[in-house]
Amino acid sequence: MATRDYLFFLCATAALFILSGCVAKDPLPQGKVYPSTSINVPFISPRQDLCGSTSIQMVAQYWQANRNYSPKLSLQELDQRTLLPLKGGTLQVELVSTARANGLIAYPLEPNFDALLSELSAHHPVIVLINRSYSWYPMWHYIPVNGYDTTRKEFLTHFSDQPNEPIGIKTFAELWKRSEYWGVVLLPPGEIPASATSKKFLRSVYELEKVGMVEEAIRSYQSALMRWPEDSDIHFILGNSYSRVDRLSEAEESYRRFLLRNPNHPLALNNLALLLSKTGRKTEGLALLDNAVSKDPEVQKMLRETREEILKK
Amino acid sequence: MQISKLIVSSVLSVTLFAQVSWGQIASTELVLGSPSAVSSEAKVSQFVAREDVAKAFEEMGVDPKTVELKLASLSDDEINSIASNIDTLPAGGDGGSIIGAIVFIFIVLLITDILGLTKVFNFTRSVR
Repeated sequence: MATRDYLFFLCATAALFILSGCVAKDPLPQGKVYPSTSINVPFISPRQDLCGSTSIQMVAQYWQANRNYSPKLSLQELDQRTLLPLKGGTLQVELVSTARANGLIAYPLEPNFDALLSELSAHHPVIVLINRSYSWYPMWHYIPVNGYDTTRKEFLTHFSDQPNEPIGIKTFAELWKRSEYWGVVLLPPGEIPASATSKKFLRSVYELEKVGMVEEAIRSYQSALMRWPEDSDIHFILGNSYSRVDRLSEAEESYRRFLLRNPNHPLALNNLALLLSKTGRKTEGLALLDNAVSKDPEVQKMLRETREEILKK
Repeated sequence: MQISKLIVSSVLSVTLFAQVSWGQIASTELVLGSPSAVSSEAKVSQFVAREDVAKAFEEMGVDPKTVELKLASLSDDEINSIASNIDTLPAGGDGGSIIGAIVFIFIVLLITDILGLTKVFNFTRSVR
């Protein structure tokens, strides 16, 4: 009797899984038309536990062939940085940080099909995290998505040992849903994601700057300025980056452009004052500080210290 | 434990030094609206989080030198996002799924053996 119950339970569960696979609706946003795309991403054969590293390598090679970009890490270094031996894989943050160490901007994809298809249309390959199995027996896997076929409703991916393996959109949706639609766009400096918003993109670039790739970051900030000319914050950010690599006249110009739109901004006045005193214009710098007012005690402290430092020189 | 502490302190000293050499310049972070750890309390909790992650990496079989590399490239936000739940986070790595599939089939057959629906293995005794 008990056996029959078990059997019933097994069949019912199986039926539930099969049915839930069948009733999946078309996950694409309604009313939008996306063109078929096929991005020529080089294929690398899979290796046990190293799909994170391999995915980065494939996308990096694509950009190396198509843009002025050269990877900073070898395949061995990518392997070493991405692998957690006892976990048999790569954490999402590690994929992101390793791609960055390789000189790429890692832009977190909005978790939806619209963002994914927009990037593919712009010929930006996207790395997504999927679960090949169910949540009770997870098999996490990173794959580069290289294209979409509108008529067949299939994504093209370097899924396993075949290049450009097609995956039907419904299956893809099931697998991708299990990672809450996690994906990342890896781009060379100067390139901007099709689905990007200005602040989120600037933050991704700043992450690259923080690990020491200032010149690369500057190239991306410059592109950002072309794409979002109305965002004056980019001038401030550029001013800081130029200062960091001693491109002082460009830094000065950037701060001044920012101040044209935000004349009393205490942070920009502070930074420009320091720059002026560094280039022998102490009086002008101190005069700028007179215009800098803030209610924030932290900022007040910063302004005071800057004044003291300039006076000391 | 000792090693992870050493690594964290060396990484931390590098970051602190970098901040000092920047002088009073207002950082980009202030404009991007994601200010990093400024208060001393936040700095301490950041230190602890880094130490936790370093320890977890070592326990997952990463050699100390690589732990240092990994930590240096992770931002404070990224460290915070994994510090408390690193064991349960997904780690994509499935290049060869054959072993996984074999294990899976083994378990299924084991269950069906126990249920008396199959007799694949010699060591199982059916409940029937």
